Amino acid sequence: MKIVASFKVSPETQDIQTRPDRSLNLERAQWKVGTYDLNAIEAARQLADEVGGTVVGLSAGGSALENAKLTKDALSRGLDELVTVVDENLVGSESYQTASVLAESLTEIGDVDLVLVGAGSSDEYTQQVGNHLGQILGWPTLNAIETIEAEGDHLKVERVLEDGVQVIEVQLPAVLSLTSGANTPRIAGMKDILAAGKKPVTSVAAGVLPSPTATPVSQLAPEQVDRRQIILEGVDAAAELAIHLKAL
Amino acid sequence: MTKIWVIAHDDTVAADLVRSARGLGSYVGTVCIGGHAVPGADLTLTAPQIPETLIEGYSSAIAEVVKDGDLVIFSTDTQSRLLAGLVASTLKTSVRNITSISAEGDTFTITRPLYGGLAVVTETLGSGASVLVVGPGALPEYEGDLPSGEVKDLEGTPSTPGLKVVETRTKQVQAVNLAAAKRVIGVGRGFAQEADLEMARELAAKLGGELACSRPMAEGVNWMPVECYLGVSGATIRPDLYLAIGISGQIQHMVGVNRSKVIVAINKDKNAPIFTHADYGVVGDLYDVLPALIQAL
Repeated sequence: MKIVASFKVSPETQDIQTRPDRSLNLERAQWKVGTYDLNAIEAARQLADEVGGTVVGLSAGGSALENAKLTKDALSRGLDELVTVVDENLVGSESYQTASVLAESLTEIGDVDLVLVGAGSSDEYTQQVGNHLGQILGWPTLNAIETIEAEGDHLKVERVLEDGVQVIEVQLPAVLSLTSGANTPRIAGMKDILAAGKKPVTSVAAGVLPSPTATPVSQLAPEQVDRRQIILEGVDAAAELAIHLKAL
Repeated sequence: MTKIWVIAHDDTVAADLVRSARGLGSYVGTVCIGGHAVPGADLTLTAPQIPETLIEGYSSAIAEVVKDGDLVIFSTDTQSRLLAGLVASTLKTSVRNITSISAEGDTFTITRPLYGGLAVVTETLGSGASVLVVGPGALPEYEGDLPSGEVKDLEGTPSTPGLKVVETRTKQVQAVNLAAAKRVIGVGRGFAQEADLEMARELAAKLGGELACSRPMAEGVNWMPVECYLGVSGATIRPDLYLAIGISGQIQHMVGVNRSKVIVAINKDKNAPIFTHADYGVVGDLYDVLPALIQAL
């Protein structure tokens, strides 16, 4: 089985600073593979180990993807090879634009049986690239997948809804977006990191992106709500808090 | 004329979204799968929920109906999100998860979170149908008249080739509606073991509040149901009182609670970021503070 684990790299949120004018300073932010995207890589590895096959990583984005440390990190998490689509127009691209680019790259990769996507990216968290991608390809498409089981020539998956679980048989090829609790991504060991350096990385062209469907106005830190900041310490703190709570 | 479509698979959700949508446009139509006539809609298109098929199979039929609309609005549940993605792709547009929307003439301006709530993106929507997933409180409130409209069948049959639902297990959904709760008590990793949550439950009962949690409590140690976690990937609340116990206050958590009227924090680390967002805070071990607080209330 040829499984593609799709992921997005984005600036580490913890490293982003806010300037007094509420604009963002990303200069010190390291670019990383999305937290939930690691679930897609892990699920792909586990399935490939079980039924046999290869795991191809696929990521579309800006020049951050040319950073060898970053691609090596992605490869060390269980990928066999990596395909990157690098184009500055893909920085901050809309979910449908990204999905269109990914769909084209999948055709180039060829013979793909399954595409796995994380719950959502670390920056936009639109939770839609997998849904768009499946529709563009005309493949069976599902979101919120918690478990994947191979059953002959198809998969049996569990999908988590607000009020229950659907058990669904999925014919291949298909696109599945996972839940954030689908698995616990592995931490790469020294051996994995060394092996990652020898794995192939291929770069493919992005082609023409579909037009954006909105015009950006601003990107700012939210306005701070003024809080009272009455911080209590010491043995009487709890009793004092009780007085404040009763007064609400 | 601004034309808005609301797509839902539940009568109550459809009615709430339609009422709010009336404040944004002169025409509001709705597709309610498995539902009935929706009050306030100029037109309700109904379609049956068929066992063993997915409601997402109606995406092509819905795209055909809404393609000339200005806004196509979906709720945040899992099925609505997938349906939104499928409809949007058919219309060659992207889905936006909005936190607010305002209209000026024919132009709509929306906001949506970025970097886990660290930033807010403001955008004006382009011409053509815009597909929006709206969270609680994202649409403006509307108090005006609700017209009654026509009810028709949605044309088309559901089709999801390659997907077959073989079993549906309904789970006991917690009766709590965090979004509607006036007081919410959030518990975090400061609790050493599951049994200790009893203290928080006792405090919640005293304050007349609902119990919620941070993400690791629901997707990590699994001491709390997943619908109870607050934050960017969980529930967003705006209660009168939010009391966080043993929660450090990372941005991903705060984005779910920072519209609370009053925020109270109990944490043993006086440098925890939660204190910078708090109206009242107690620096102390929750195992000392909670019993004393329950006693004093």
